[in-house]
Amino acid sequence: MANLKDVLVIGAGLAGLTAAWQAAGPDKKVQVLAKGWGATHWHSGCIDLLGYWPLDADAAVTNPLQAIAQLIQEKPQHPYALTGLDNIVAALSAFQDLCAEAGYPLEGTPEKNWLLPTAVGTFRPTCLAPQTMTAGDLSSDAAMLLVGFKQFVDFYPHVAADNLTQQGIPAEYVMLDLPALARQHRLTSVVLANMMEQAAFRQEVAQALKPKLGTAARVGFPAVLGLREATAVWQAMSDLLERPVFEIPTLPPSVAGIRLHHILRDAIQAEGGWVFDGMEAVGAEKDGGRVTAVFTETAARNRAHRAENYVLSTGGILGGGIYASYQGGVKEVVFDLPVNAPDNHLDWFHTDFMDKRGHPIYQTGISVNEQFQPVNGSEQPLLSNLFAAGTTLAHCEPIQERSFEGIALVTGYVAGRLAV
Amino acid sequence: MRTIQTEVLVIGGGATGMGVLADLALRGFKAVLVEKRDLTHGTTGRYHGLLHSGGRYVVKDPKAATECIEENVILRRIMPHCIEDTGGFFVVTPWDDPDFGDTFLQACDDTGVPSEEIDVAVMLREEPNLNAQMQRCFRVPDGSADSFLATQSVAELGRQHGAQVLNYHEVKNLIQDGDKIVGALCHDLVRDEDVTIYADITVNAAGAWAGKIAGTIGIEVNIMPGKGTMIAAAHRVVNTVVNRCKMPADGDIIVPAHTVAIIGTTDERVADPEHFAIEPWEVNLMMEEAAKLVPVWKETRMLRCWGGVRPLYQETKVADTRDVTRAYTLLDHETRDGVTGFITITGGKWTTFRQMAEVTVNRVCEKLGVERPCTTAETPVPNPFGHTGSYHYLGQRLAEVEKEKKFDALICECELVTRADVEHAITKGIAHTLDDVRRDIRLGMGPCQGGFCTYRAAGIWHELRDDPVEVTNVTLRDFLQERWKGLRPILWGQQLKQERLDELIYLSVLNADHLPGETASRLGPAMYEKGSIEDNPKAVT
Repeated sequence: MANLKDVLVIGAGLAGLTAAWQAAGPDKKVQVLAKGWGATHWHSGCIDLLGYWPLDADAAVTNPLQAIAQLIQEKPQHPYALTGLDNIVAALSAFQDLCAEAGYPLEGTPEKNWLLPTAVGTFRPTCLAPQTMTAGDLSSDAAMLLVGFKQFVDFYPHVAADNLTQQGIPAEYVMLDLPALARQHRLTSVVLANMMEQAAFRQEVAQALKPKLGTAARVGFPAVLGLREATAVWQAMSDLLERPVFEIPTLPPSVAGIRLHHILRDAIQAEGGWVFDGMEAVGAEKDGGRVTAVFTETAARNRAHRAENYVLSTGGILGGGIYASYQGGVKEVVFDLPVNAPDNHLDWFHTDFMDKRGHPIYQTGISVNEQFQPVNGSEQPLLSNLFAAGTTLAHCEPIQERSFEGIALVTGYVAGRLAV
Repeated sequence: MRTIQTEVLVIGGGATGMGVLADLALRGFKAVLVEKRDLTHGTTGRYHGLLHSGGRYVVKDPKAATECIEENVILRRIMPHCIEDTGGFFVVTPWDDPDFGDTFLQACDDTGVPSEEIDVAVMLREEPNLNAQMQRCFRVPDGSADSFLATQSVAELGRQHGAQVLNYHEVKNLIQDGDKIVGALCHDLVRDEDVTIYADITVNAAGAWAGKIAGTIGIEVNIMPGKGTMIAAAHRVVNTVVNRCKMPADGDIIVPAHTVAIIGTTDERVADPEHFAIEPWEVNLMMEEAAKLVPVWKETRMLRCWGGVRPLYQETKVADTRDVTRAYTLLDHETRDGVTGFITITGGKWTTFRQMAEVTVNRVCEKLGVERPCTTAETPVPNPFGHTGSYHYLGQRLAEVEKEKKFDALICECELVTRADVEHAITKGIAHTLDDVRRDIRLGMGPCQGGFCTYRAAGIWHELRDDPVEVTNVTLRDFLQERWKGLRPILWGQQLKQERLDELIYLSVLNADHLPGETASRLGPAMYEKGSIEDNPKAVT
């Protein structure tokens, strides 16, 4: 068949893009079907590997790799147990290399979590953070000034500064009211990030800030310091303010996450792969224990996409790969793979929104073997040329564990390599 | 201890109590109202928002029907900004008896409720989502009322005439001096201190809680709390109020309100108006019954589920609470129980709150030996948050935002709440929680249920108030928990996905479960759970 790909990846979140990047090569035709963009546009733009374990621990994990070794003992079906520690180290290292080559270094090692400030002033454990964020490191109590923009409704430095101060990090705040922003019709993080790429606007920001720096040893901004040129923007702001500058992730859309999306897309394209946008996978054709096609919806009829191997990385309930309908049960949407949801709606949730155990429904997912092939109840692969990766996998709670990006990246890395 | 002296003390910050307060103030009485939580905490803030034409009661409860249509006309005149003129249909579905339609029409004539039969084809042209198998359809002047805004507006009217409104003041007990009630001992929940209020007359307008209030001095007022469960769909699947044309039953009405459509309700006897559960069968019944009226309902995104408790009063006990009259009752405890200075106004429904207030204040005048005529039927009600003099309409907020190009200042995109709205509610109103701000301006009431605006509003809250940061922190957490309370029973489909995004934001990006300070405050929500306060320590009331 002329149009046969080597690998078809379904889903363009961090897991799918990582899988495609790993699978693509000079003699490997790789295509990604993207319904839309993934959770990269929502998350912090850092790589959380494991932030809290056990889930109800008060203190954050300090050494994620060590904590994962313990987690694997307790949860032998967890995705990290299936990848193993070596793959975790290899995946993170490969991704750090990729980002560094793209001029956007991610700092950190799998043996140490950063504690970085959030937009409400809590201490957030994360494993890899872009260089643009690490001066916010809370193991240092160097005084900080947090900067907000009056017209930007998604960052409130006052509450963040007060919480940091309350927890031993001296922090002040300033809210800038700049003429250039007053002219904006709707100031989103992406608009602000694009403005930050203009030297004149950076000058305006710096001029307004300089009289207010006081004793601050470092200056924190919402994560809007440039989109394509983040490192240069961050460097320029640091130079203008003559002290370290750092970004703080805030409400979506996440500029820092979009940067990772861009880096991965560029890498896939550089290897000859491509991302097919606006393609929602709605079903599949199976024959003889293999997937023979995946269908997407187009205007006239369903379109078939065929490949040797397939990677399913459509996300869990958040990504839409798993859908729970009213009285219709919980389903995996493309292949109708079995999922492990509780039967009774009453058992889907705990009483508290922030229950540290995580709501059981969100641990619904696809069970896979060590080859990342979806399996049935007796651990037999259901479809021999299908692999699954990312937060669509069962036996994990990526948000409560603070392993959201880590699971996506590491399982995407492994599944992508297995699929070629 | 703080002490307040007034002429009349009104207990209960719902529609009835606030109506009484404003009427008292307009007639020149010095009056104070206390509410245990925020205004409309009780049934007023938890009903489907129907402005009754009276159609629902023409057959079963003609007295209530006539009261409704009288008040419907008056409320449209004095407070149109709280009303959307949706009109209403009574529809005979394939499951209903078409002959009941004739009974209905005759009863409308008898009670003075305007009605006309229209072709099903006309009905479908106006409301294409309705079941095409309908047998008959009748048009009535139902409407959709904003009971939050209405109560705030009536409060404003009262304040303009010297009345005082104290929210988060819970009555611990009435104060008795011989045979006379001389006021109430209250607890200020915000300052956590007691307050004594002395009054010549105390009006018990505590709705479903009226029995508890009277009970503090051993007077039995038999309120039968009838729980009604409602579900809001995240779309206006209909723009007209749609009633089943049959005797009132579970899940027989859909009310379009602001950006949503609400199906209601069940009617279940509960022991306690504050602590009750929403049962899965109730959710399922609402979904099934709604789909009989609007077949696309089950595929529609559900937004939220909640329960309210009807304050139904009857001297003798009956088994099925729906058989109790909706008409209100005024109890003069002097003639009934030999206790002076104390009256209870109970029963009724939102649509008749003004008339209930009029009757109550007439009795106050009698008891105080003065003659002061009621003027509420002719007095326009002000709007503390915007325009007056015309009906609310669905596109109104968008029109205002577009006119003033306020897109950059939207704090809650779902409900088009601007920064100025939030600032006004925080600084000018009597809000003590973000949930109070929500009731004032609809913050967080749209599809994302606070996903984006909770952080924003908490940020503004912290800028504008002098609170220690721990107070802001718990305010944020309380609001997320309050939104969760009404989401949990209906989380599936798109709304479940949305909720997971909200988790990503508040746990993964903001790490808000590790904010310094308490995880819940005494001003936080009581969850829909069975059991006592002891079983559910967070549910402080």
